[in-house]
Amino acid sequence: MSDQKPAMGKQVGALQQKPKNMKATVLRLLKYMKKSILLIALTVITAITGTVMQVWSPKILGSATTVIFNGAKSGTGIDFTKLGMILLWVACLYVGICLTDFLGQRFMVLTAQKTTYSMRNELKSKMAKVPISYFDKHPSGELMSIAINDIDNIITNLQQSLMTLITNIVLVIGLPIIMITISPVLTLVACMAIPGSMLIMKLFTPLTKKNNMAYFKSLGQLNTLIEESYQGFEVLKNFNGHKQAIENFEEINNGMISTGWRARFFGGLIMPSMGLMQNVIYITIAVLGAISVVGGKILIGNLQAFLQYSGQFTRPFSQIGQAWGNILSLVASSERVFNMLDSEDMPENKNTFTDKTEIAKVTFEHVQFGYTNELLMKDYNMSVMDGQMIAIVGHTGAGKTTLINLLERFYEINGGSIRIDGKDIRNTSRETLRKRIGMVLQDTWLFSGTIFDNIKYGNESATDEQIYAAARAAFVDEFVQKLPDGYNTVLGEDASNISQGQRQLITIARAFVSDPEILILDEATSNVDSRTEVIIQSAMKRLLKGRTSFVIAHRLSTIYDADSILVMDNGDIVETGNHKELLAIDGVYADIYNSQFNQLSA
Amino acid sequence: MLKIFKRLPPLKTVGAILFLFVQIACTLYLPYITKDIVNYGIIKGDVTYVWSKGLFMLGIAVCGLLAALFNTLIFSNLSYKLGGQLRLEVYNKAMQFSKHEFDKIGTSALITRNTNDVTQVQTLVEMSLKFLIMSPVMFIGGIFMTYLLNPKLSLVFIAVIPFLIIIYFIIYRFANPLYSKMQKLLDELNLYFREGLTGARVIRAFGKDNEEYDKYKAVNREYTKTAVKAGTIMSFFVPFITLLVSLATIGITWVAGKGVENGSIQVGDIMACIGYSAQILMAFAMMANIITVIPRGQTSAKRIYEILDMPLSIIDPKTVTNANGTCLAFEDVDFRYQGAKHKTLQGISFTVKGGQTLAIIASTGGGKTSLVSLISRMYDVEKGSVSIGGTDVRKLSVEKLHDLVSVAAQKSILFFGTIRSNLLIAKPDATDDEIWKALDMAQGSEFVRLLNKGLDSVVEKGGGNFSGGQKQRLCIARALLKQAAIYVFDDSFSALDFKTDRAVRTAIKGNLKNAITVIIAQRISTVMGADMIAVLDNGRLSGLGTHDELKETNGVYKEIIASQLYKEEVAV
Repeated sequence: MSDQKPAMGKQVGALQQKPKNMKATVLRLLKYMKKSILLIALTVITAITGTVMQVWSPKILGSATTVIFNGAKSGTGIDFTKLGMILLWVACLYVGICLTDFLGQRFMVLTAQKTTYSMRNELKSKMAKVPISYFDKHPSGELMSIAINDIDNIITNLQQSLMTLITNIVLVIGLPIIMITISPVLTLVACMAIPGSMLIMKLFTPLTKKNNMAYFKSLGQLNTLIEESYQGFEVLKNFNGHKQAIENFEEINNGMISTGWRARFFGGLIMPSMGLMQNVIYITIAVLGAISVVGGKILIGNLQAFLQYSGQFTRPFSQIGQAWGNILSLVASSERVFNMLDSEDMPENKNTFTDKTEIAKVTFEHVQFGYTNELLMKDYNMSVMDGQMIAIVGHTGAGKTTLINLLERFYEINGGSIRIDGKDIRNTSRETLRKRIGMVLQDTWLFSGTIFDNIKYGNESATDEQIYAAARAAFVDEFVQKLPDGYNTVLGEDASNISQGQRQLITIARAFVSDPEILILDEATSNVDSRTEVIIQSAMKRLLKGRTSFVIAHRLSTIYDADSILVMDNGDIVETGNHKELLAIDGVYADIYNSQFNQLSA
Repeated sequence: MLKIFKRLPPLKTVGAILFLFVQIACTLYLPYITKDIVNYGIIKGDVTYVWSKGLFMLGIAVCGLLAALFNTLIFSNLSYKLGGQLRLEVYNKAMQFSKHEFDKIGTSALITRNTNDVTQVQTLVEMSLKFLIMSPVMFIGGIFMTYLLNPKLSLVFIAVIPFLIIIYFIIYRFANPLYSKMQKLLDELNLYFREGLTGARVIRAFGKDNEEYDKYKAVNREYTKTAVKAGTIMSFFVPFITLLVSLATIGITWVAGKGVENGSIQVGDIMACIGYSAQILMAFAMMANIITVIPRGQTSAKRIYEILDMPLSIIDPKTVTNANGTCLAFEDVDFRYQGAKHKTLQGISFTVKGGQTLAIIASTGGGKTSLVSLISRMYDVEKGSVSIGGTDVRKLSVEKLHDLVSVAAQKSILFFGTIRSNLLIAKPDATDDEIWKALDMAQGSEFVRLLNKGLDSVVEKGGGNFSGGQKQRLCIARALLKQAAIYVFDDSFSALDFKTDRAVRTAIKGNLKNAITVIIAQRISTVMGADMIAVLDNGRLSGLGTHDELKETNGVYKEIIASQLYKEEVAV
């Protein structure tokens, strides 16, 4: 029974990898499918039952022919009652096969979908439990590939391969048995198909494989060439490089044509060769069988059945091979999914740390930190009073985002203590901590919902009035009124409908709504025209009013207005003070100031 | 789609089809011979007859194989050649495009057409030549052969056909919308998962993890429900049609029984019929499968021809006029993107002489890049003219024009290869010394020297293994390596810090003495030193002059300064 459904556009077998730890993964996968154990058992039963019926029915149909034959030969007339009985019985078998086939398929669909439903949910919830460092270590493309491609692979192969495997195993066992009951000699002839097909495969597969691999290599090269040519089109044109590009293209393309058709040819020869081999066997059986029937050794109906069987004989082997390959692939995918699910969660704090009573709003005391075993921050101390604004400056890559990571507890400090209102931030849950801190980052992440919903994201319990007020404060209201759908405008995935600057303003509105005590703000704005730049600056200034804030400074005005400036270098805070003090030190700050801020002396 | 088939060489195609027919004929003939073996050999007990017919069958089988060999050879050869041909044609056409066409179609869409769509068409040609011909022929042939055996028997098969067709349509009627729904839900699911990854910090900062999970779970549930429904419907298809055909064989056996009784049918006929039923079933399943390939192939074919038939917006005059780059002039230039309501540029006029630097700065986003695109004829003007050395750029051959103008674009684009291969694009016969000189000017030689392999260092696809600043410097070096009359730097210093920015501009000024330099920038500090600054405001030229002139007289320029600096003057 072949399984057919419209291709979902994906080439199964594209993820053909061998799993690293087969046994362990299979056991785990089975544990996963434990909830569907009943379904699987039912599938196995229906598959076996159906296949047994499938093996049996040609014999019985054959006996109908024997009845007719005997009736005709003997001249006594055909026993139509007997014939009718036999045919009815076969009909029942056929209906049975249909039902079992259908049910088995359906069970597998249910099992596969249920299993991947759980997997998907677990992956999603896992993503909420892993530390932020996980996302920094694993590129989103890799994670997405597991969440999409591997899961897809599991479903496809699970739905098809299990049934196929069981059915064909039964066939491989059952067919020879029933064939032997008819004639051992003929069975031997039929068995010639096995070495025969192996020979054919051995003959053609290496050639096919060689050409296929060359083809896919060229395909990859050509696709890269095409992608780069089109993405870098202007460069190619400007440097008149397209002539060379076309030459390269032709070379690879010609290679593709020749390896491609050869691969197809050799691969395409397998079926007809198998066909010839089967025909030879068919003919041999027909001839020998005919002689046996004449000699009265075999019933004609059995010969008919046998011919049907021998036609089915080789398919199970190749089907098993294919199904096995698919199962390997599905186990490999499951392995990747399980690896992802096994990632370490964020460590939950067991200890309590000392709280202190102090006037400062935020205190850093003897803070030590490093992303790896090497400490970047060795002994940092600072007190920030309520309402103060701290500017953070540093060269690109100096680690300015580290402070965000530490305050929000995206990363944990290695030693020392960070306290807010005297309480060590590790003594409360991360959720409680984060409710008090607001972030406006350079990366303007918004989700694919309406503008209204995105602003409301800052505080689920905000009233409509509060949201509109926040929008006005962030200068969002002005441009939203000009949009055709207003606040109901849905932000597209690429957010091509609003500009970068407008996105930034929305994130500011979102921060307004969350009304945090402490604000972390990254002033960097890229690709924003000067008019919007001014607006964003004003919005940011409004947001900062009356809050304790840490600002990654990019504007002169910020460092002038700051109560204190933190100068970062190589992940550590190297200088602290106000503008005049720091200039006097003539160190890192002076260097940064002169190269980044002091434009008029250029 | 017909256009595609017309491309096939007629003789070879017909030959291949003939071989295919021979192959099919041989396959269909075999059960027929079985009938003879049974009817004349077995029933009459004539063993010699059995042997001779057996050998005949063998001959037919070998014939069939040879026919299969030849038609597979020709078909695969034809379809892959066709695919390769299409692929090259699309690429060639695209290389003649200007930016207009790229804007219209979109870069990623164009990539898809050159890759996926061509493959779809190639597959369709291969499939349709082979299977679309084979399966209906086998299907009808099988029924026809049954008719030859005995008309009454074939009636049973014919009676089944309408049921087959009805079931097929019913199932696809119900399954297809479900599959579309599944695809949409899957896209949504993947979108949420990806957002969860890219926005992890924000989601956690706002404590939204639970909400995001619930959102995801809900879509997941919906998807799973739909998938089970769709899967169940499809599970029904193959078993049911198998049942129909199997029941047909029962019908045949019964009818045959009656026939044998009154002598109109022979036993061998039954066996042959059952053999044909298997062939018919297979043929039908093949047809059902292949049908899905057709619409996809047709869509792809249409999209490919869209590209091939697209008229070019910029015509290359191909005249070899001797143009020099002593001056660049814009005369009352208007520009509009194709199909846009508003003009991007209006009334732009200026002249830059050899050795001068023109800087372009603007208060709002659009306009700057379009302006310089007009210099190298990535787009054409709507009104007015752009001329180099007194000659309108539309009168120069495109190749000559590109030789005169060297561009470092806003987005740094590098190709898979080495640093050397990337830079050689600008000047294929450049020596290593020349390359290093260009790198020096671009302040890039320092980091390149630090690399293990220097100029031979690998550049990954898209230059991903280099930082933004490094990529920019490599692109600047590339532009500088080319010996051009006009150099354009479109915001190509944005990733460099002020020190490096200044150093590069100084080096450029020093080395490109006679050339015209056009710099587009966002920072005042970058444009300050230019001989002439053009201030764009909403696509019009708001001011043209030096920094000192503009900072007193030009309102827009003053506004830009204000947005970048704080009001206080800095005294150092």
